[in-house]
Amino acid sequence: MSSDIVVSCKGVSRTYQEESVPVHALRGVDFEFARGEFVSIAGPSGSGKSTLLNVIGGLDRPDAGTITVDGVELNGLNETELSDLRLHKMGFVFQSYNLIPVLSALENVEFIMQLQGVGPAERAERAMSMLDSLDIVDLADRRPGDMSGGQQQRVAIARSIVTNPVLLLADEPSANLDSATTEDLLQLLRRLNEERGVSILTATHDPIVMSYAQRQVNLRDGAIVEDSAAKVA
Amino acid sequence: MPLKLLLQLSTRNILRHKRRNGLLLAAIIVAVGAVTVSNSLIRGMQYDMADAAVSNLTGHVKILAEGYRDDPNIDKNFVLAENWQPDVAAEELVGWAARVRVPAVIMSERGTRGIQFVGIDPDQEDISFIGQAAYDGERLTDGSDGRVVIGRALAEQLETTVGRRLVIITQGADGLNREAGFRIAGLYDTDGTSLEKIFVFTGVNTLQKMVGADVFTELSIRLVREPFLFQFKTSMIEFFTGLEVLDWRELEPQAAAMFVFADAAIFIWFFIMMGALIFGLVNTLITSVMERVRELGMLRAVGMRPKSVIVQVVLESSILMFIGVACGLIAGWLFILWLGEGIDLSRFAEGMDAFGMRTTMRPIPLAGDMLLVAGLSLLFGVLASLYPAWRVVKIKPLEALRR
Amino acid sequence: MVEATLDVTVGRQQRRGGAHGIVAIAWRNLWRNRRRTWLMASGIGFAVWMLVFAQSVQMGTFNVMVDNGARMSLGHVQVQHPDYHDNPRLEDLLSDAPALRKSIESLDGVVAASLRAQSFALVSAEERSFGAQIMGVEADREAKWSTLPTMIADGRYLSGPGEAYVGAVLARNLGLRVGDELVMLGTAKQGGVAAAVARVVGIFDTGMVDVDRALVQIPIADFQDAWSLEVDEAHTLVVLAEGVESSLELAEEVAETAVGLNTLNWHVLMPEMVQFIELKAVGVQLIFVLIAIIVTFSVINAFMMTVFERTPEFGMLKAIGMRPGAILVQLQLEAIWLWALGISVGIGAAVLLVGALGISGIPLPAGTEEILRGMNMPNRLYPGYSWEATWIGVITMFVGTQVAVLVPGLRLRRLRCVEALRAQE
Repeated sequence: MSSDIVVSCKGVSRTYQEESVPVHALRGVDFEFARGEFVSIAGPSGSGKSTLLNVIGGLDRPDAGTITVDGVELNGLNETELSDLRLHKMGFVFQSYNLIPVLSALENVEFIMQLQGVGPAERAERAMSMLDSLDIVDLADRRPGDMSGGQQQRVAIARSIVTNPVLLLADEPSANLDSATTEDLLQLLRRLNEERGVSILTATHDPIVMSYAQRQVNLRDGAIVEDSAAKVA
Repeated sequence: MPLKLLLQLSTRNILRHKRRNGLLLAAIIVAVGAVTVSNSLIRGMQYDMADAAVSNLTGHVKILAEGYRDDPNIDKNFVLAENWQPDVAAEELVGWAARVRVPAVIMSERGTRGIQFVGIDPDQEDISFIGQAAYDGERLTDGSDGRVVIGRALAEQLETTVGRRLVIITQGADGLNREAGFRIAGLYDTDGTSLEKIFVFTGVNTLQKMVGADVFTELSIRLVREPFLFQFKTSMIEFFTGLEVLDWRELEPQAAAMFVFADAAIFIWFFIMMGALIFGLVNTLITSVMERVRELGMLRAVGMRPKSVIVQVVLESSILMFIGVACGLIAGWLFILWLGEGIDLSRFAEGMDAFGMRTTMRPIPLAGDMLLVAGLSLLFGVLASLYPAWRVVKIKPLEALRR
Repeated sequence: MVEATLDVTVGRQQRRGGAHGIVAIAWRNLWRNRRRTWLMASGIGFAVWMLVFAQSVQMGTFNVMVDNGARMSLGHVQVQHPDYHDNPRLEDLLSDAPALRKSIESLDGVVAASLRAQSFALVSAEERSFGAQIMGVEADREAKWSTLPTMIADGRYLSGPGEAYVGAVLARNLGLRVGDELVMLGTAKQGGVAAAVARVVGIFDTGMVDVDRALVQIPIADFQDAWSLEVDEAHTLVVLAEGVESSLELAEEVAETAVGLNTLNWHVLMPEMVQFIELKAVGVQLIFVLIAIIVTFSVINAFMMTVFERTPEFGMLKAIGMRPGAILVQLQLEAIWLWALGISVGIGAAVLLVGALGISGIPLPAGTEEILRGMNMPNRLYPGYSWEATWIGVITMFVGTQVAVLVPGLRLRRLRCVEALRAQE
């Protein structure tokens, strides 16, 4: 049932040269991720979790191994094709700097649809209903500079899932938030996962985030040391 | 990638730093405005020089007997049919004048000078400087006027004035010298003194009688439009077979060379001003791009193509340039209006005269020049943005996000 | 920038002892954004370079034009009867001219001096007549310095009595060839008839129609004879100096020697050149002012960005006790460093370019030789470095950069520490 596998990594390695010392961020990671899963990748800083997320998102390329996202092998794609893949199949939520400062919340949510070429009427309608379902309609006309960190992250999530991506990648989504706001945000993610079936892959070292995920993958020194799904299986 | 979206992003990013971009705009406006004004002055000078050359008894086209240029003598002459009219539409023609011009010696009680003695029909001479000059005393009345008009500078050299008599010696058609006395009807005054010292005028019939032949030595024709020149000249060459048909560029090569140089000067000015502008423009663009690196990295991460990022930076530069060019053209144009009739440079009269220029610098704004400046400036804006755009594209989205 | 910050406080405390620390910090701060610093220094350099280069080329050109005019025949300095220049009459003569020439020749800086006498006359050959200027010259002396004797189209220069050297256009108009005879008819001193016959030995072509059309040179003795002058009388003493620049000083010395006479320097001899040079200089200065404005705008912008980016740092400096005035002084020092860097770039580029072109010359477009010759211009330009333009450029850009730093600098006075520190993000 390959169609149920959204992400598949085979023997993925990635080495950085940091001040002429090679850093093995990933060492032959094998990893599969099914549609509708909510997975958190955990591990201390330097364990390679961000790198794993980045190579899956096509922001970084592995030195060895293959990555397949929704049946497309990333290795053969050029920069433009990778851009298009991210545009159409993935949603991103970053630690900070998620939003375009010169656009309002509504415009930010519309933005990716605009890139995709969705018509203005449909765009506005979908963006508004997305803000509505996330209870942030009142932020529609505000610019990122006038919002709190939690509000910005909500708008970022709205933007990333409004196009119904195959996969939502969230790198330390709670890094700049207090714990109450983090709980809110995670409840939102869980709801999206359960109600809309959004596949979520998050990298974090925040135990609150881990506790919300169905499956936890522990990474240490660039290798998977524990996978809760494997245990269940 | 929808251009409209990129336009919106670029516009808002420009508005984000109003003071910075305002200053940059001011610099662009100064540059474009200065180029516009200087272009109009260069054009004014260019046209004036051409005009002065054409007015200098030359006309756009001049017909001479074969050999007259090498040996300007009364035996190099031609006969013009009675009631001759150039074969040209009236709206293309300012006028024409048939003259007799011979070298001569002029003498007053106090001095002797070599001059060009020109017989004219005053009614025809609105095409040349002598028809437009200011006078002390009287003008010549018609082609059979037996008096002379001389330049003010020559009158000073000869220590003579209106009403006094002069003796002029020239060679007749038979090759023998003729000597005749003339009364001075008036003194003419031109911008410089070089013409005033050389040309002495009398009625054409008077001079024909003096040299003893009913002939002309030159026919000058002035047109309304310079571009019509070539076509007209060709038709004249067919009509006047056996005579030399020359245009002003051939007759006044110095003025023609300056005319060509003025075209180049317009580009030189443009590149100097844009050269001064480019450092500030590139600095502003780079800064505005570099402080947005994370934002641009995020845009790349969510799927904006590298090309679109370049387009966004180029658009930002182009929009700034576009507004700056528009305002600069308007500012330049207003300044030209304020200059009005021109800048008085009579302080430099002799220097200007020596190089064939007039003492008033008159601005002539040409739509073509403005379009050229606008087009080149926009192109320049695009070129200036390529380096910052290339800088930002070179940064991988991942690095950008890490910053 | 902790280290720098410490330096700043120390610098402030040691203000009386010297501002070494703060100057060094300004220099280091300049290099925090290399690209911007180089861009701005290049802008300043461009402005200075443009002014110096343009002025150097123009002054080089003008010098050559004036010098060519002087060397052809006008000389750098002339001495005449007090009334002669305004109204050249035959009777306004230098008496005892050879003695005057001798005393002038003995002055330092005089390369050559020769006497001339001249008048208008009717020149005839066979049946044709034209008016022309007849110039009696000391042929052996003229041949040593004037370039006119070398501009021979046909024949040779004067060498003995009864000879004439005639302009090409005049010769053509009169139908004269080398070996032909010409007759000169004019008014002699005391109103008599001046008549002379001479044989054409040479025809000259200067390219300047006005000269070629109306000048005949004959030996001065022949002139004196025909126009009834005494053998020690002449109209003009023409003096050649070592160069255009030294000639003005020389003219003053000549004037002291030639008491009671009129001494003319090249400004008086070539008034059209003086005006043309002034006019062109005004043009160059106008371009420079515009460039200086544009560059100053850019520098204001750069300092605004710098101040904006460093607001948290300034807040911190203020928080630890630095006065707003001291922060401004630091920015001003940065502006001075930027200016110094910029003018070094500009002057360096100008010196190299002007120096190289001063040796190789700038070739002018082919096909313009005739036109250039007619304007007394060489067909290669040799620019001479203009220190005057350098000074103007350097001072203007100093003012420009200081103004530029004041625009954002004065706003720092209203800086509030807490907000500034928070701007860090």
